[in-house]
Amino acid sequence: MIRYLTRRLLGALGVLLAVAAVTFLIFHVMPADPAQAACGKNCSTERLAAVRQYMGLDQPLPVQFGAFLTGIFAGRTLGTGQYAVDCGFPCLGYSYAYSEPVWDLLVARLPVSVSLALGAAALWLLFGLTSGVTAALRKDSLTDRTLMVGAVTAASMPVYFTAGLLILLFIKTLEILPYPGYVPIAEDPLGWAGNLLLPWCALAFLYAAMYTRQSRTAMIETMSEPYIRTARAKGLPERTVVLKHGLRAGLTPILTIFGMDLAGLLAGAVITEQIFGLPGVGQFFHKALTTGDQPVVLGVTLLAASFIVVANLLVDLLYAVVDPRVRY
Amino acid sequence: MINQRLQTAVATALVAALVGTATACSGGDRPRATTDGKNPAAANEGGTVGGTPRRGGTLTILSNQDFSHLDPARNWTMPNMDFGIRLLYRTLTTFKAAPGKEGTEVVPDLATDLGTPSNGGRTWTFTLKEGVKYEDGSPVRAQDVKYNVERSFSPDLTGGPDYAARYLAGTDGYQGPLTGKHLDSVKAPDDRTIVFELNRPVAEFGSTVTLPTFAPVPKSKEAGARYDNRPFSSGPYKIESYEREKKLVLVRNTHWDPATDDVRKAYPDRFVMLMGLKGSQIDDRLIAGKGGDASAVQWSDLQPGSAAKVLPRADVRERLIAESGGCTEMLQLNTSRAPFDDRRVREAMLHAVDKDAVVTAGGGPALVDAATAYLPPALTGGRQADTLKIAPEGDQEKARRMLKAAGKDGLKASLTVSTGDKGRAEAIQQALGRAGVRVEINTVDPAAYYDTVGDTRNAPDMVLAGWCPDYPSGSTFLPFVFDGRYIKEKGNSGNYSQFRDKPTMRRIDEINAMTDPKAAESAWRALDAEILAKAPAVPVTLKRKPLLVGPNVAGAFGHPVWAGQLDYATIGLKDPATSGN
Repeated sequence: MIRYLTRRLLGALGVLLAVAAVTFLIFHVMPADPAQAACGKNCSTERLAAVRQYMGLDQPLPVQFGAFLTGIFAGRTLGTGQYAVDCGFPCLGYSYAYSEPVWDLLVARLPVSVSLALGAAALWLLFGLTSGVTAALRKDSLTDRTLMVGAVTAASMPVYFTAGLLILLFIKTLEILPYPGYVPIAEDPLGWAGNLLLPWCALAFLYAAMYTRQSRTAMIETMSEPYIRTARAKGLPERTVVLKHGLRAGLTPILTIFGMDLAGLLAGAVITEQIFGLPGVGQFFHKALTTGDQPVVLGVTLLAASFIVVANLLVDLLYAVVDPRVRY
Repeated sequence: MINQRLQTAVATALVAALVGTATACSGGDRPRATTDGKNPAAANEGGTVGGTPRRGGTLTILSNQDFSHLDPARNWTMPNMDFGIRLLYRTLTTFKAAPGKEGTEVVPDLATDLGTPSNGGRTWTFTLKEGVKYEDGSPVRAQDVKYNVERSFSPDLTGGPDYAARYLAGTDGYQGPLTGKHLDSVKAPDDRTIVFELNRPVAEFGSTVTLPTFAPVPKSKEAGARYDNRPFSSGPYKIESYEREKKLVLVRNTHWDPATDDVRKAYPDRFVMLMGLKGSQIDDRLIAGKGGDASAVQWSDLQPGSAAKVLPRADVRERLIAESGGCTEMLQLNTSRAPFDDRRVREAMLHAVDKDAVVTAGGGPALVDAATAYLPPALTGGRQADTLKIAPEGDQEKARRMLKAAGKDGLKASLTVSTGDKGRAEAIQQALGRAGVRVEINTVDPAAYYDTVGDTRNAPDMVLAGWCPDYPSGSTFLPFVFDGRYIKEKGNSGNYSQFRDKPTMRRIDEINAMTDPKAAESAWRALDAEILAKAPAVPVTLKRKPLLVGPNVAGAFGHPVWAGQLDYATIGLKDPATSGN
């Protein structure tokens, strides 16, 4: 187990290094010059050179990348003199636009994205698994077909369309919900949930549809296994057969997908946050992309990659819990 | 009761909003973009919405964005300068808080007057008022203004106005006070006197010091790049909390003394700016104007798509402000190579562009006007000059004939625009196509746009770009856009035409050397017409800044200097008690 974990962790570090290198390179082949953007209108050549030096952009690319990597573990200092800015561990760089360490900015926005992702995940798991299992147990019935038609329809609707419909219906027409904002859960739990309800639904709608289809397929396959027939032959109640023997084994492939989906959303649901005006990591990332704030883009990309790598690892470890046949 | 003028205005606006781009394609009758300085479709132009405010309450600002910079040494974006100068820091002089032409008048702010020139306009002396205090009650000193001017040279503190570097003497190689060095050309002999030594006579230096570079920052509050997140207030409000991209809360600076300030009224008790909201949702919230949104205003422009929801409704329309943005958008022609190195081809372009079509593509005459000169109306007495008398729809047949006469028919030219400007670029493409010029449009992501078009070696044939004056003087416009000495190989900005015309540069120097501001302004206007005749760029449009305010908002008008943004010096609420939080 320890050997397996060590191997996986080293592999994860390699993936993160590759992601960082590629993102770093992409920014440097783009025509946008962060020093020029920061320097402003009519920046003289001399001043541009001073700004470039201050931002560390006058250094060769490998040196800049090395400084970035070192900074993650050892921290960095930006600028010189009395007002140089310290960026402590884990230093993901210093935002050109916000004059703050990227890590601090990300931490301030993570609660929004985590709230959005976890709430939506709870909804899509609940509805996706329930309808998937129901459809599988009533295979080829009217219920099954209705659920599947509904799932295909929902899965074919992009989140910006669903979000627009929800806003039109519940905010503009019925006027029963306000335009979403973000209220921290510690300040007002009800306000937190009320404001996130529509974004949760918009995200969950799409994912629930996909989970319905996947859990149905997984359950149909599992329920046709010989051990299920054996369990029934032993006279176990159908509820036990389905929940304990069927669902547990059928969950394994769902778990893999869920880990990846949730991890992807934790680092920001860009479209949903944009549409509902939620100040999360996704909205932050979009703004950084449009303004060329390279340290933020790099930081969010690394964060997202870390979430996915960690989720992948966790999912693999959880296999052993869900499926007793798996051992490391 | 609706009078005939209002009916006409609503009808015009409706047509503009509803026909949209369809008319651009059909070529049928279109709403006319007027060039006479009066636009019947523009709402509340030069007027104040909501009457006189009452003191108190919370005014909410709904925004889709955060400020780029609030540090006065770094603040050089029109609406941000308005916000900073009106609410958080005071400058030596400032602009009168009034709509229309009156708002372009410069008045004393920190200083007792508009400054005293000496040494042939090369030395300017200002005396600070007594009793002006920071948010902690300490006095504002002349040394603090000097300190902030010096800060603007620091490579740590980028993005701010460069007029100090442009006008002050002995600034070569200076990199700001953070390195421990100071400028000899700015002197503060005592707490209330500040003297600027300039590298040439600057007739309008009393206007230059309206810029936030000339606001005070005490050295004890220096925080380097992080000062941006918490500027120390010398204005009527101070920052209570600021979560970047989320929320900014301003509360009263209890040490601000209205007796020292003739400009700011500071009606609300608090300003709350909610950021990161979606533009169309801000529009919808303000159209509805319910609950807390009744006491809210919007920061960024009304979306063109929302105009159709606003203009037909008189009750909403009366809350719309659409002051001219004060920036001229131009089709800049690359004069450094063929085909636009030939003046005859450039002159043909003046006739080929259909400004009416560009106006329609930009949202119609309620949001955009056609331009007839480079200098925007705020620099020419509220109305642009129209020396060439070319109709807004152009004359493509005439342009075709001019090109043929020059032996240049069958031309091809590239046009590079930011992705958001594609519709307007297509309107230009169609008109030039009718004149016999095949235009290839390249769209560039906004993040990379200025770097792309600022690379002079690989610059396109045409660029759609605007310029906004920093204060009402031709010196903040024509030299930036048409002085060939400002052209840079990389990061070129303003002079995208790469116009290197010796007579123009000579005349710019002559006008810069004038010591009489009125004579200089008159000379800038004449030079504007002279450059237009040489056609390095086609003046295309003047954008308006459409902003909707809630029904409980009073004292709201778009300030002509700050690109039509609401003047935060005088805005407030009708009934503060209903504003909530």
